[in-house]
Amino acid sequence: MKYSLTKHRPEKIKDRLRIDNIISRHKDTPGELLNILEETQILSKYNYLSPAQLKYIAEKTSYPLSVVYSVTTFYSFFNLKPQGEHCIIVCRGTACHTKGSRRILDYLESVLDFGDEKINEGEKVFLTTKDKVITIKTVACFGQCALAPVVEVDGIIHSRMTVEKMKKVLSALKKKGLK
Amino acid sequence: MGKKTCNVKINGTNCQAEEGINLVEACLQQGIIIPTLCYLKDLNESGACSVCLVEVKGAKTLLRACVTKVRDGMEIYTDTERIRRARKVVVELILANHPKDCLGCEKNQNCDLQRIAYELGIENIRYPKTRQKDFSIDNSSPSIIRDPNKCILCGRCIEVCSKIQEVNAIDFIKRGHAMQVSTFFDGGLGNSECTNCGQCVLVCPTGALAENNSIGEVWRVLDDKEQIVIVQTAPAIRAAIGEAFGFNTGVPTTGKLAASLRRLGFSKIFDTQFAADLTIIEEGSEFLTRLKNNDKIPTITSCSPGWIKFGETFFPGILDNISTCKSPQQMFGAIAKTYYAQKMNIDPRKIKIISVMPCTAKKFEALRPEINSAFSFWKDKLALSKKEYFPDVDYVLTTRELIRMIKEAGIDYANLADEGFDDPLGVSTGAATIFGASGGVMEAALRSAYFYLTGTELKDIELNAVRGLSGIKEASLEIAGKKIKVAVAHGLGNARKLMQQVARGESPYHFIEIMACPGGCIGGGGQPLPVNDEIRKLRIKALYQEDRSLAYRRSHQNPAVIKLYSEFLKKPNGHLSHKLLHTHYHKRQPVKI
Repeated sequence: MKYSLTKHRPEKIKDRLRIDNIISRHKDTPGELLNILEETQILSKYNYLSPAQLKYIAEKTSYPLSVVYSVTTFYSFFNLKPQGEHCIIVCRGTACHTKGSRRILDYLESVLDFGDEKINEGEKVFLTTKDKVITIKTVACFGQCALAPVVEVDGIIHSRMTVEKMKKVLSALKKKGLK
Repeated sequence: MGKKTCNVKINGTNCQAEEGINLVEACLQQGIIIPTLCYLKDLNESGACSVCLVEVKGAKTLLRACVTKVRDGMEIYTDTERIRRARKVVVELILANHPKDCLGCEKNQNCDLQRIAYELGIENIRYPKTRQKDFSIDNSSPSIIRDPNKCILCGRCIEVCSKIQEVNAIDFIKRGHAMQVSTFFDGGLGNSECTNCGQCVLVCPTGALAENNSIGEVWRVLDDKEQIVIVQTAPAIRAAIGEAFGFNTGVPTTGKLAASLRRLGFSKIFDTQFAADLTIIEEGSEFLTRLKNNDKIPTITSCSPGWIKFGETFFPGILDNISTCKSPQQMFGAIAKTYYAQKMNIDPRKIKIISVMPCTAKKFEALRPEINSAFSFWKDKLALSKKEYFPDVDYVLTTRELIRMIKEAGIDYANLADEGFDDPLGVSTGAATIFGASGGVMEAALRSAYFYLTGTELKDIELNAVRGLSGIKEASLEIAGKKIKVAVAHGLGNARKLMQQVARGESPYHFIEIMACPGGCIGGGGQPLPVNDEIRKLRIKALYQEDRSLAYRRSHQNPAVIKLYSEFLKKPNGHLSHKLLHTHYHKRQPVKI
C-alpha cells in the first residue's frame, strides 16, 4: 500500500501512528501538551521535534501552532534541531568557569568534527557532529558548584572534570564522532 | 444578584468600590488614571509591564494595580514620592532596550510608551541596553510590519489575537533576552494564520506593530503628471478622520474629506460607497437566486478581507457559502479601470487607483492575484503584454496614513469648505454609508432584497436588531410571505461561533454578515488611535446620522449604479458582472513552513 505524503506531514506513516498513540494516551489530561511533546521527542530519531511533527501535533490536539511553538521554545528540554546520539552538556557557571570549564569546551571543539560550525558563547552553544553522534551544549549552572567543573554526559553528572577525564569519557562513547 | 460593594480609601478620600474589581478600575471610577502599558480591561490583566504600581497600606511592597483586587477597608495611595520613583525606574528599565528613534517611528505621537515616559518626567535613561543582538524586523506581511526591538512584551497583541479574534497567529517565543512575540517557527506574519485585521496594531502600546506604510509610493504617483490618479474612500473614513483634526469623536467630516483629497492632487475624488451600492445589487441578486434554489444557504458576506482570509484558513469547508462578490474596494477598482476608463476614453494603463481604507487587511486583498480583472478585460482589446500587467487597485492607504499625508501637505483640514465627490463613481446612498458599521451590510442588503422580492419599498428601513455592539446579533424579517433569518457577527471570535454552526450544517440562518473587526470597519486596524468601545459607538452613530441625512437610502436607487447597469454591465450577476465583480476563494495552509 502506498501512502501519499506531503512535506507538511511527518515523513513516515509510522511516525504519525506513533504520535497518534501518544496523543490518545494524554488527551484531556492536565499538561497534555507537554507530555505529548516530551514523548514525541524521546521517540523521535535524533531526539528532536521537527516543524512537521509540531504541525501534526497542533492539528490533532487543536492547540494553535503559535502556542505549540511557544511551549517548545520555552522549555530547554525540547530540541528543535537534530541531536547526536550522545549529549554532552558543559556547565559555564561562574564556579565551573573559574575551575576551567572553558578548557574542556575548547578540547571538545578541537577533537569533534562540527563541520563549519564553531563555538560562539555570545549565543546559545548547540553543536552536533557531522555524523550526528555527539551534541555539545552549555548550561548556565547545574547547581553543583561544589563539584566544579561539572559536565553532564547522557544525563549523568561527571564532577571535577578535567581534559584527561573528558578524553576517557569520549573514548567510552562511540568513537565515530571524533576527527 | 446584587454585587457587594466595599469601603475603600483612595488617596485619603473615602469611597466605595465594587468588590473584586481591580485597582485600575476602582481608581478610574474615582477619576484617577493609573498609568499602564499592558492593561486592557477584561482582556489583558497580567501585570506584565509593572508601571501601574500603587501603595496599599499594610503591604510590604508596592502592588501592581491591575492584578490587585479591591478589598474592604483597603487604603490605596496612587501618587506618592515612592510610587513616582518606582514607576520611573520601571519605565527606564523598559526604555533601556527600546530603540530611541521616536522621530521616525510610525507610532510617533500615538505611542503609550512615549506618552507615559513624558508624563513621568523621564529625562535620561540610567540603565544600559542589555540586549546583545537586535531582532530582525518582520516585513513578511503586506499589511503589518512587526519590529520586535520596539516590543515591550506586554502581551496585548497576543490576547487580542487569541481572545477577540481567535486567530492565534502570535505568542511569546523563547525566554529571557531572546523572548519576543512571534509566529510559528518565527516564520513571519505573512507566512502565518494572521488575517491582517490589524487589531494588534490598535492595542500595541509602542511602534512594535504598525501598518505597512505606502505613503511614499502614493506621493510618487501623485507627482507623476502622466498618471490619472483616482482616489476612493471607504465609508468608515468619514466617521473617524475628523478625530485627528480636532473634531469631536462621532462627527462625520465627509465634505472636508473630499475637499482635502482634492487639495492633495487626486484627479478624481470617488467614493467606495458607490461600489458598496453596487455590491448590494450583486450580492442581493446572488442571495435571492440562492434562496430561490435553496442552494448555498446561508449566504455569507464577503466585504471584509480579514474575514475572508480567516474563512479560507480555518473553515475551508464552507467557502461555497461565501458570496462570490468582491469587496467594494475591488469592485471599485475593476469598474474604474474598465467602465470609467472606456466611458472617458482613458488608457487604463494610465489610471492609478488609490484606496483609503480603515483596514490593514485591504492591503493584502489588493495583492490577491485572483481578484484582479481589469487587466484581463483589456488584455485582448489593447493587445497588452504580460509585462504591462496592472492591478485593479494600485495602493491602499489606511486612515492614519491619509491623515499624515494631509498634515504633510499642510492642508488646514478643520477649516476647509465642504466639497462633494465627483461624478459618476462618487454617487452613493445611505445604505452604502452604513457599510462601515457592524450590521450595516445586512441592513443595506435587506432594504434592497425587500424591494426585489415584493416590488415595494420597505417602510421602516432602520433595522435596530442588527445594530449595536453585541457580538452576535440576529433578526428575522418577513418578506413576501417568507421568513428570512439573518445573523450578524463582528470580531472573528464571534464569526467562529457562527461558522462552526454552518460547518456542522446546523445554521438556522439564510444570510450572515461577518466583519473581522469589533464594531465593523469603523473599528478597523487602520483607524485613528485610540479605538475603544466608546469611540466605536460614536463612530457608528456618525454613520447612521449620515445615512438619515441622505436623499437616497437604498442601494437600488443609486442613479449612477442604475446607469452603470444600463450602459455597461446590463444586468446583475450577468456575464460581465461575473468577469469583473465576482471572485473565488481557496483553502489556505495555516502556516507556510
